Amino acid sequence: MDEKLKQDLIGIVGDANVTDSLIDMVSLSYDASEHRGRPEAGVSVESAEQVSKIMHLANARKISVIPRGAGTGLSGMAIPVKGGIVLDLARMNRILNISIEDRLAVVEPGVVYRDLEKALLPHGFFFPPDPASGKVSTLGGNVATNAGGLKGAKYGTTRDYVLGLQVVLPDGRMMRTGSKAMKSVSGYDLTRLFVGSEGTLGVVTEITLKINPKPTATSTALATFDDLVDAGNAINQTMYSGIIPSALEILGRETLAAINQNTELNLPEVDAMILVETDGYTREETDYQLQKVMDVFQRNHAREVRQAETEKDVEELWKARKSAYAVLARIEPNFVLEDVTVPMSQIASLLKGVQAISLRHGLRIATFGHAGDGNLHPQILYNGYDPDQVRRMEAASADLFKLAIELGGTLTGEHGIGLSKAPYMTLEHDPVAMDVMRSLKKMFDPNNILNPGKMGLEI
Amino acid sequence: MPSRYEFEEKFREQILRCSRCGFCQAVCPVFGATLRPALNARGKMLLLKEVMDGRIELNDELIESLFQCTTCANCYKNCPSGVNVPEIIRLARKDMVKGGSCHPAFKGMNEVLDKSPNIYAEDDPEDFDREKNQQAENVYFVGCVGLYREDEATSATLDLLDRLKVDYTLIDEVCCSGVLEDVGFSMKDHLVLKNIEGILATGARRVITGCPYCSRTFNKQPQYAALKDKGIEVVHIAQFLQGFDFGVTTDKRVTYHDPCDLGRHCGIYEEPRITIRKIAPDFVEMADNRENALCCGAGGGVRGAYAKNSIAMARRRLEQAEAIGADIILTECNSCVHNLTNAKLRKQKFKIYNTTQFINELMEKAESA
Repeated sequence: MDEKLKQDLIGIVGDANVTDSLIDMVSLSYDASEHRGRPEAGVSVESAEQVSKIMHLANARKISVIPRGAGTGLSGMAIPVKGGIVLDLARMNRILNISIEDRLAVVEPGVVYRDLEKALLPHGFFFPPDPASGKVSTLGGNVATNAGGLKGAKYGTTRDYVLGLQVVLPDGRMMRTGSKAMKSVSGYDLTRLFVGSEGTLGVVTEITLKINPKPTATSTALATFDDLVDAGNAINQTMYSGIIPSALEILGRETLAAINQNTELNLPEVDAMILVETDGYTREETDYQLQKVMDVFQRNHAREVRQAETEKDVEELWKARKSAYAVLARIEPNFVLEDVTVPMSQIASLLKGVQAISLRHGLRIATFGHAGDGNLHPQILYNGYDPDQVRRMEAASADLFKLAIELGGTLTGEHGIGLSKAPYMTLEHDPVAMDVMRSLKKMFDPNNILNPGKMGLEI
Repeated sequence: MPSRYEFEEKFREQILRCSRCGFCQAVCPVFGATLRPALNARGKMLLLKEVMDGRIELNDELIESLFQCTTCANCYKNCPSGVNVPEIIRLARKDMVKGGSCHPAFKGMNEVLDKSPNIYAEDDPEDFDREKNQQAENVYFVGCVGLYREDEATSATLDLLDRLKVDYTLIDEVCCSGVLEDVGFSMKDHLVLKNIEGILATGARRVITGCPYCSRTFNKQPQYAALKDKGIEVVHIAQFLQGFDFGVTTDKRVTYHDPCDLGRHCGIYEEPRITIRKIAPDFVEMADNRENALCCGAGGGVRGAYAKNSIAMARRRLEQAEAIGADIILTECNSCVHNLTNAKLRKQKFKIYNTTQFINELMEKAESA
């Protein structure tokens, strides 16, 4: 790193918080995606003021800045693909305020999802999105990706809970968006513009989140299906049956086999297994809802429908679901984990389509996902050291994106565009929409220094 | 093409299997204390991956990361991809040492054990006012930390064994030297031999160790196979004590810290709890316990090499004890006692003991009452 720049950065955050040592540069080159890119420096920040000074400096010198939380993103949005400075926000990890009276929590971006969950629990409240990486991912990262999770079908995604933000703009100016009120239509909705913007428009330094009372009762069941179409229809019909489950997850055959290889759960290895959870405040209420859903499963030719009896069974089932993507990683050296999402009526078609793509390209594609909101995670398994497999993986990804768009869906339900899906942006968005997005980026970041190369915004 | 490195030879597939999910960040004690991705298990696997890919060299620049792992194995227990990070680190450190890269503290430790019979280079071992090298049913093997740093705890443990009328002897023990395998070197044959000869000479059928790491070394390292071949059982004192009744209780609130070497590495979680429940009706678990217990920060040579971070790790553990209002933290490892005690803040009023020392104190009080 340039010595002058290094000294200026040290002047802002102190000697201990600036690094260009090899071990840090390597670890900051990766997130949980298949991408890599070596930065020139890493800077750990502890306040919005420091972020502001760094952005001011970087903008003046036209140096890229890449914000980073826990580095658990799956589409490469924290990869310094053009070098520059990685801005590590993990130490801005204070929960600033929990106001039960106002139903909100104010946090710094480095707070880990689970730490907020733990802090809210004694109050009987929760922040619902429940990303599978919640024990490590940061709330800043959750905002940047508009993270979703297992509770999406009933409770929505991060976006539905962000009331306001403090943001440092690429030129170093600071602003606040939104309000602490439960609703506000005052001016343009800048808050929503930043949620899911992947750190390309500004650096979020404070987040005000709406929180929900936590239901105290749940019921859980699993159903198995010999036919993907039956499973797809069961999911679709559940979602218009009048009951909205708090989670509705699907696990395909490859996924079930991988879980069985690595746990003692002995799940049935069928074409599809559906996990469903209903929530409420009495067991009677949640069992009533669950029964309705189980009836839908029966009507759609489920081979087996079974309610989980003990708390341990329930815990094990969700643990299995949350580890799905990583246990699949044991099968081949590499994978890409997609998150295509389609309208609810198209779930069965998406499931069948994924199977066809797997056959066409001769690659194993394991499927699981948040079926209740039409969001699937086809996981393409391949060997990154085999050029032919890499080529087939890329072709399979492209087919998958085309399929999702043809079915009226979207490239990404919750992981974001990042680097992985940047080449496909124009598949989903028309030229005018792309032009508006590029204009927005240019307005906020005329020097293109903040997280450049992401979201397909550069021509 | 044969690999340049032993770690690659044995673990290439596992390192590539690391999906970079980062779930280890939730449990890695070094990351927890520093929030620095390069020191997390994932960061270490990425360094080794780049070495295998030929992007970087396995040299001095990697010491700060690869030699800063307590080998607590919490990452391995929680890794959805099943990557055995502590074993990989062990081999990578050996490869580094072979290539001339090593943390000076570990190099020093290896040199000390060439010349001295213990890791502290002390030449005046405490005899605890007991005849050594007697014929007895059991050998009590103290371990370096218990001999030279926590000798009060050891004295109390021996008093307890006397109170329980256990037939045992001490020997002229030397360092088991197992730790060298963790920090890039190899065990010392002359030390191993001296311990084996000393144990065999007593005619004992059982070795009771005060240190979980020694017990792990005796049971798992092939160099000590002679003990098993002669039908000698090696147990840690926590296992030995579970069958005894002590006839004393405390009204204090007691919690238990699982040492990594006893817990995650040997699967011994319940034996110490059986004992503690007998003497402490108000026994409360810390938030993270058993397989998920936080590391005290002392292991893998980290206390010697990276003292500041080691203490920061211990502080995180002590915060968990504070949160449940514990008066007493019991553990089964002198190294844990040593590090936790060093990290204790003045405002933290709890006391930290080896279980044996605490029970002995209770019995002593009961006798004098």
